[in-house]
Amino acid sequence: MHTFPVKKIIEHGPGVKSFYFEQSFEAQPGQFVNLWIPGVDEKPFSVSAIKDGLIEISVKQYGSFTQKLMQARAGDLLGLRGPFGNGFTLRENALLIGGGIGIAPLRLLAAELHQNNKRFVSLFGAATKYELIFKADFKEISNCYFYTDDGSFGRKGLVTEDLLNIIRDEKIEFIYAAGPEIMFVKLKEIIDPLDIPYEFCMERYMKCGIGICGQCVLDGSGVRLCVEGPVLNQDDLKGVTELGMVHRDASGRRIK
Amino acid sequence: MKTSFLNLKMNNPLVLASGILGLTASSMKRVVENGCGAVTTKSFNLEARKGHPNPSIVPFDHGLLNAVGLSNPGAEEAVKEISRFKEISDVPIFASVFGRTIEEYGKVAEIALKAKPHLIEVNVSCPNVRSEFGTPFGDVPEDTAEITRLVKQVAGDIPVSIKLGPHGPGIARMAKVCEENGADAITAINTAGPGMLIDINVQKPVLSNKTGGVSGPAILPIAVKSVYEVYKNVSIPIIGTGGVTYWQDAVQMILAGATLISLGTAVYYEGIEVFNKINGGLRDYMNQFGYTSIADFRGGAH
Ligand SMILES: Cc1cc2nc3c(=O)[nH]c(=O)nc-3n(C[C@H](O)[C@H](O)[C@H](O)COP(=O)(O)OP(=O)(O)OC[C@H]3O[C@@H](n4cnc5c(N)ncnc54)[C@H](O)[C@@H]3O)c2cc1C
Ligand SMILES: Cc1cc2nc3c(=O)[nH]c(=O)nc-3n(C[C@H](O)[C@H](O)[C@H](O)COP(=O)(O)O)c2cc1C
Ligand code: FES
Repeated sequence: MHTFPVKKIIEHGPGVKSFYFEQSFEAQPGQFVNLWIPGVDEKPFSVSAIKDGLIEISVKQYGSFTQKLMQARAGDLLGLRGPFGNGFTLRENALLIGGGIGIAPLRLLAAELHQNNKRFVSLFGAATKYELIFKADFKEISNCYFYTDDGSFGRKGLVTEDLLNIIRDEKIEFIYAAGPEIMFVKLKEIIDPLDIPYEFCMERYMKCGIGICGQCVLDGSGVRLCVEGPVLNQDDLKGVTELGMVHRDASGRRIK
Repeated sequence: MKTSFLNLKMNNPLVLASGILGLTASSMKRVVENGCGAVTTKSFNLEARKGHPNPSIVPFDHGLLNAVGLSNPGAEEAVKEISRFKEISDVPIFASVFGRTIEEYGKVAEIALKAKPHLIEVNVSCPNVRSEFGTPFGDVPEDTAEITRLVKQVAGDIPVSIKLGPHGPGIARMAKVCEENGADAITAINTAGPGMLIDINVQKPVLSNKTGGVSGPAILPIAVKSVYEVYKNVSIPIIGTGGVTYWQDAVQMILAGATLISLGTAVYYEGIEVFNKINGGLRDYMNQFGYTSIADFRGGAH
């Protein structure tokens, strides 16, 4: 285990924060780290940026772990291990689709695409304005489309609303997505018939992060999300029978 | 590499150890596609258990320290996965069971038998639930004897292997107790220890459970010696387990007396392909020495 003091914390809005640590390893976009709060628990989080010698993760408060994390202060010691998993591949003329905190892994991806002079377009949705984090960063380097459930920023509605038009008008050749699982189900329905290749950054309950406990294995395929994922492409997903259906809790039991 | 084990015919002597990628049929099937000869399920008991919070599995230089805490979806769920596995794969599946009480072992085995696994492996040696369950049953000869009899009674024709740990009053003696009470095989060993790792900055144990079982290369010598002693003391076959990472380690296990070799932590070091790699190495070794079957050199170190 490697523990580091939190270097700085940025609050994007109520219950959405970024935490910065001294950079101790390289990470590809889509890869994740395991964050340990000593005495509490350890959970996976995507790397959202690597810049100026700092590693950044961006977190939305859900349950007890993230609630504890929101109370952390600069200087607190947290464990950080990684990077784990397989990241995104870098493609030309891509559309980045993010739902909610799913924007986090796409931010590092956008930075890499930009650095490699690859054109891309951003399409993001969230419940409300302050959950659409990093708007300015993405606007600086890409054409952007924003949606909120309550219409507080961008257009009111879901990211899938005008998807076909955006794909056509922006001449999209590849799709990256990260966000809630229901979004993947809807995206698949829309883009599978178009034959556009894609990569989704997925989530499952994880324990080991190193491919041995079996907790994150997807039904139908045997893919270990912590090793072969969390980024899966259209071929990896072909055999998967549990997309949007069930996932496993800490006991390994399937829950709805 | 065809191997006979009790009433079973297997393609090779390698088994997926309990607790590694053994939660679902899809997961175990994937391991089979990578060359293992049989799979063992994650240990399960009657009711679902969440296990210990993370960190529950941490690597160190020579292995893993784990205190997963026997998380499992409960016997009824586990049995469904065994049935699913049998629909999609021909290789034998071993059901690993445990109980919080001696009586529960019998009940869980009964449920496990509904899916007709090829063997029941009885985990009496998990070191990670001591705070909850007290001394492992596998450390107490009378308890182990009673559990063996109980499971054997319900198992009927289906063979039973008792999984022992390196701690307790001597593994060879415990193996003998199991044999005398009807066990068909011995699985040796479970994780060693328990051990502990401390984070030097936080200055606290890393595992949420503080202590955990040690697996991987660090315990190979302990496992080889355990198998060697058990082989001397009993005539039932042994599933040699503990620290097997390379084919040379598997050869050592066979020379010590193992009929089958199971591996877990090696999946972390060598990837899921480890089963094919070890089978390849075993084949070459046998060609080099002119052996036609594993029985030709089993126990050869004695
Ligand atoms: C590879 C990977 C990368 C991840 N990256 C990030 C990241 O960059 N930022 C981030 O904030 N989180 C990320 N997560 C999710 C994170 O690990 C936690 O699961 C999440 O923060 C909730 O933790 P909790 O303990 O606070 O909530 P829990 O106590 O686990 O859950 C509380 C409630 O929230 C719900 N819930 C839990 N997790 C999620 C979720 N991910 N989405 C929607 N509802 C949920 C549960 O159903 C439950 O009802 C990632 C997960 C994985 C597997
Ligand atoms: C993460 C992990 C979980 C385990 N869970 C179980 C279990 O549920 N039941 C059991 O009998 N053994 C369990 N074990 C022990 C292994 O089956 C095996 O006996 C031990 O790890 C030694 O073998 P290895 O060095 O090849 O891993 C577990 C081991 C690890 C590393
Ligand atoms: S989290 Fe353990 S196998 Fe993926």
